[in-house]
Amino acid sequence: MSKRYQTRFDKLEKDNQKAFMPFTVLGWPNKEESLSIIKTMIESGASALELGFPFSDPVADGPVIAKAAFETLESGFKTADAFKLIADVRKLDAEIPIGILVYYNNVLAVGVESFFKQAKEVGIDGVLIADLPVETAEEVLPIAKANDVDLIFIVSPVTTDERLAKIATIAGGFIYLVSRLGVTGTDKSANNLSNLGGLIGKLKNQTPLPICAGFGVSSKQTATALLEVGVDGVIVGSRVIEIVRNAKDVHGELRQLFGELESSCRETKAKASTI
Amino acid sequence: MKTLGYFGTYGGVYVPETLMPALEELEASFLVAKDDKGFMGELGNLFRDYAGRPTPLYYARNLSRLWGAEIFLKREDLLHGGAHKTNNALGQALLAKSMGKKRIIAETGAGQHGVACAMAGALLDLQTEIYMGEVDIVRQQPNVQRMKLMGATVHPVTTGSKTLKDAINEALRDWITNLGDTHYLLGTAAGPHPFPTLVKFFQSIIGREARQQFFDRYQELPDYVIACVGGGSNAIGMFSAFLDDENVKLVGVEPAGHGVHTAKHGAVLSKGKPGCLHGMKSMVLQDDDGQIIEAHSVAAGLDYPSVGPEHAYLQDIKRAEYVSVDDKEALAAFNELSRREGIIPALESSHALAYAKKLCLDLKPGSRVLINLSGRGDKDLAEVLRHE
Repeated sequence: MSKRYQTRFDKLEKDNQKAFMPFTVLGWPNKEESLSIIKTMIESGASALELGFPFSDPVADGPVIAKAAFETLESGFKTADAFKLIADVRKLDAEIPIGILVYYNNVLAVGVESFFKQAKEVGIDGVLIADLPVETAEEVLPIAKANDVDLIFIVSPVTTDERLAKIATIAGGFIYLVSRLGVTGTDKSANNLSNLGGLIGKLKNQTPLPICAGFGVSSKQTATALLEVGVDGVIVGSRVIEIVRNAKDVHGELRQLFGELESSCRETKAKASTI
Repeated sequence: MKTLGYFGTYGGVYVPETLMPALEELEASFLVAKDDKGFMGELGNLFRDYAGRPTPLYYARNLSRLWGAEIFLKREDLLHGGAHKTNNALGQALLAKSMGKKRIIAETGAGQHGVACAMAGALLDLQTEIYMGEVDIVRQQPNVQRMKLMGATVHPVTTGSKTLKDAINEALRDWITNLGDTHYLLGTAAGPHPFPTLVKFFQSIIGREARQQFFDRYQELPDYVIACVGGGSNAIGMFSAFLDDENVKLVGVEPAGHGVHTAKHGAVLSKGKPGCLHGMKSMVLQDDDGQIIEAHSVAAGLDYPSVGPEHAYLQDIKRAEYVSVDDKEALAAFNELSRREGIIPALESSHALAYAKKLCLDLKPGSRVLINLSGRGDKDLAEVLRHE
């Protein structure tokens, strides 16, 4: 595990707290406002950041994040701008772990070596490549390791035991647990928490990495429910984009959402019976 | 998975984690089905009695006289549904049944694959939902009506370029959400393993038939085999039978749209770069950052910014040559086949015809050119009239 993730998760564990990880699309709605949104995340007590590189064909994303990505690309935002923006974020906070979500073609276009070298230089700690499963991840794993950047992997409710074991051996940072089938979004109808409990138990037997759940986390209730079944953190994404798009007082509403999630991560304890 | 389905450095499995179990299940079911006498027997019966296989090999007497070479057409346009897409749709729909799926989803560009899926869905009692770009819905209205008539639901796709690539994105999102009861019936020999291999398997009937028909009649093989390439399923189905026949030249024809030197074309193999899209590594039209560039062609079925990985491989090892033909040349070929032979070709197939005509200028008299007439052009009438 890279140093910043290690330090942060160790501290959370010592304090008996869970991780609150907000997500946004880099460069959306524009460079300045994007930095300002991330600043609000840090000021609101985010444990780590999840920042998405916009891609033209984001198949793992629902309409909310996909639309933000399209708008960002239309504004002329480039991969180099994303790295620059992260360098600025790093100046705001030297210790917060920064994870990025990226699609493989954006990595390949820059070149795997160059991409991870730049990632290290601007202070990125983890890279989750949305369309790179463990089967083909060997293509980038040695390069990620050489640059001291964690490769982060997704586990879903339908991941088989055999694949779970493979993921556990090469994953770094934390396990990104997709709490339901589907793409990113705030629709929470399909969350099946009783099944998740079993999956979390299996994961904890195979890896010491913290397990953070995303997809469909949109409120204190959804976060608390996930934390109660035993995850070590929650990731909120689409709800952030919705607020920025619709709210009258964007930063006020973001602070309110982040505050609720942060307090949920501080207060909620796993219900032992569900693990 | 048993293998990762590489063709040289192309192909592979590059999908979100949630899709992996579905691809594993599909690969396992396919490996069983392809060697299962019951499955293959049922598919063979459907090919013959429902779809009308074998399709004829037609010697185009008037084109041959006009173009100065012997021109043969493999008449996939006469297949039920009006295009080669029926081969793959029937094969995969049977496979979906064998996996116990209740629902099939599919993308469609020209609408031919959507129609083929609607047919297979009606026949095999599978709930059928088709994703189709808004732009394509406008230019392929008759096919939209046919799909609906056969009981399929057509979902307009309004994101991105609103064409085939975005329809694939939406179908993948649906599959990620509903993979328990749903099979994604991908229409071309592209996407993550096992799709390129599986689609080639079901389309290879085209090449096997054509090769046999040609040989039975002439005791020789053609000098050239030509097919249009969008995703590349009709071409790989045709080429697959001839790969070991070193003297048979294989030519894939991509859409040059307004011209390969403009921003509006779909000549992926000559103008694209290696990349990763829709679950596979292949050649991709993209900018320096790896953002996908929209393809363009007058033929909706060729309007795709990537290509099946095996074509990228065949180009690399120089077993097949890939060329391009622009919108105007394709439209001229559309008219020429209609007037000279009384056969209205699909705009997609018209690309193969247009290249064959140019090629004939350089060929010795008596050279034999086999063209895959992958579909009929009734669906394209409105689009062609718009350009006249």
